[in-house]
Amino acid sequence: MTVRQQGSLWDYRSLIWNFAQRDLKARFKGTALGWAWSLVVPLASLVIYTIVFSTIFRGKPPDFGSGRAGNFTVWLLAGLVPWGIFANNLNGSIGVLLGAGPLLKKIYFPSYAPVFGAIIATVIQSAIELGILLVVLLALGNVSWTWVLVPVWLLVFTVFVASVSLMLAVLNVYFRDLAHIIGVAIQLGFYTSPIIYQITLIPEQAHGLPLRRIIELNPMTQFIELFRDLTYGLTPGPALSWVGLFVVTGLAAGLATLVYRSRGLDLSEEL
Amino acid sequence: MTDPAISVQGVSKRFTKHTEKRNSLKERLVKGRGKSEGNFWALRDVSFDVPRGTTFGLIGHNGSGKSTMLKLLAGVHRPTSGSIITDGRVSALLELGAGFHGELTGRENIYLNASILGMSRKQIDASIDQIIDFAGIDEFIDTPVKVYSSGMYVRLGFSIAVTVEPEILIVDEIIAVGDEEFQRKCFDRLYQLRRKGTTIVLVTHALGLVQDLCDTAVWLDHGRVKAIGDSRDVVQGYMDAVNTKEAAARAEEVQQEPETSGGHARLGSGEVRVDKVEYLDSSNRPATVVLAGEAATFRLHYTAQEPMEEVVFGLGFVHESGHTVAGPNSGANGQHVPRIRTQGHVDFAVPGLTLQPGNYQVSVAAVSKGHVYDYVDRAYDLMVRGSTTEPGLTRMFGSWTYDGSRSSVQPLTEVDYA
Repeated sequence: MTVRQQGSLWDYRSLIWNFAQRDLKARFKGTALGWAWSLVVPLASLVIYTIVFSTIFRGKPPDFGSGRAGNFTVWLLAGLVPWGIFANNLNGSIGVLLGAGPLLKKIYFPSYAPVFGAIIATVIQSAIELGILLVVLLALGNVSWTWVLVPVWLLVFTVFVASVSLMLAVLNVYFRDLAHIIGVAIQLGFYTSPIIYQITLIPEQAHGLPLRRIIELNPMTQFIELFRDLTYGLTPGPALSWVGLFVVTGLAAGLATLVYRSRGLDLSEEL
Repeated sequence: MTDPAISVQGVSKRFTKHTEKRNSLKERLVKGRGKSEGNFWALRDVSFDVPRGTTFGLIGHNGSGKSTMLKLLAGVHRPTSGSIITDGRVSALLELGAGFHGELTGRENIYLNASILGMSRKQIDASIDQIIDFAGIDEFIDTPVKVYSSGMYVRLGFSIAVTVEPEILIVDEIIAVGDEEFQRKCFDRLYQLRRKGTTIVLVTHALGLVQDLCDTAVWLDHGRVKAIGDSRDVVQGYMDAVNTKEAAARAEEVQQEPETSGGHARLGSGEVRVDKVEYLDSSNRPATVVLAGEAATFRLHYTAQEPMEEVVFGLGFVHESGHTVAGPNSGANGQHVPRIRTQGHVDFAVPGLTLQPGNYQVSVAAVSKGHVYDYVDRAYDLMVRGSTTEPGLTRMFGSWTYDGSRSSVQPLTEVDYA
């Protein structure tokens, strides 16, 4: 047996969970509103986006899957939930390894553990928004069997987000500007994903570029569209999207494994 | 011997010397990959085995690679080449409380820290009371650790690490924490773990501790193994080397001349002056450091205005704590005092220096029947070096007898003191 026991991800579940708990507990300690902040922030942006894009820019939402006339705020929320999971995770986990530096230099544990812990913490926090969305949809009578697929979607999405986050967190130890680049990239991603607009609003061609095609190829577009199909539109979504997302997630996980194996094992020397 | 708990085979570790850290992308793009050509070998081809259930010490000067070795043993770094095989659960105490999160309570931190050390939730549940009890902070266990005193912090960290029931415990210089009472608890716990058969690897500069606690030791020097074996022998060898080095360094510094510590007024009428005190080692070579237990000569160089009768020379040995340890003089015990010339030297030779290692100052005097010709209080610095670990200012020689039979322990020096 070597010093670094070749434990699997499963062997480290208790450690990962402890990191997740640490993040959840530490996040709102010492704040007056505590956990309420995990609701206040997304609801505030929901209100802002609703005012700007529905009232000022007069964005039109599609109808509910139940046939009822669409509601912009609810439709927007169905887009903000997946985006929130993605953006919060990337922002939250990019600095995790730098933060865990003092620990990684003193004791061995796989460096993915604090990253995955942070992701689980963020996903749990985002589950509150997801819950609110589902409650609202339920109240509006917009519910169908397609909701059964939501956990499947969430699982695939979490693996995708975790893979991207791990890659970025490891690389950020070597290139510390990555954190700043990601900040800008996330903003760009917000507007190149159909969150505040319907993808049908995008012209097929613009400036000689197949603009809509490009946006459709953005994996986040597919994750968001699929989530909206399941919860808001009440359709299981195109099979091609599902296949595509499984493939993309598999590729991301493979790439993350490669990055982790080549760069993630000697972080203690770089921190 | 059974198979070792830790087996280190031909381990080398290379670090890249970042003359300029290129951790930002811009710098990498603009200036290339950084001047990282300089490699630094922290360890070179180190091999040793730690038998199961023994305590093992790592010693060496600063920068010798001890800490790197420890980090490799703990798995924090990976060896550049070679292999380290461990058999059993490793618990590393490289820094106490390193993983604590300030906002979390002591109890919450126990769960986090113990799981990093490899305990399952069930195991932690079972031993959490023991951890809290050992740390002695029950009152504050549910307050955030950011309000803890540094002592409480460290106590909690130690408590977690030793309660994990490690099969292999790696300890780095952490014994010197907490108050006296807690230090004793730590030692008791270490001895207890040792009795239970835990393999312990210890890095420390407290060489006495290595001799007491460790069975075997390795001495690392510039990343290579200098000596390996019984801890007493290894520590002895290391100390000898350090003493020799210090003596050499001092010799260079003071150019073979013991320093007079200025500031102490010279007393006496001045017909005779002690100009200089020279230290000679066992082979009568000038020395800047004298060794405890070894033969030594103190040579007083004098000048007198005319040849004189009955001049008695005296020395005073004052320990840095202020105690005058000894005050030999040439006229004691009715010894014959010959006539002195206008210039010469007087030797005081000891067969084995009974002073314990430490820093002393030497006072000199030349007197005659109560008249003081010359007296300088604490005129010269004297460093006594050696490797004894007995307490006290002087060494008391004698023999021990067990139930009437002569023990095998003899005085370390062959000198007859009878």
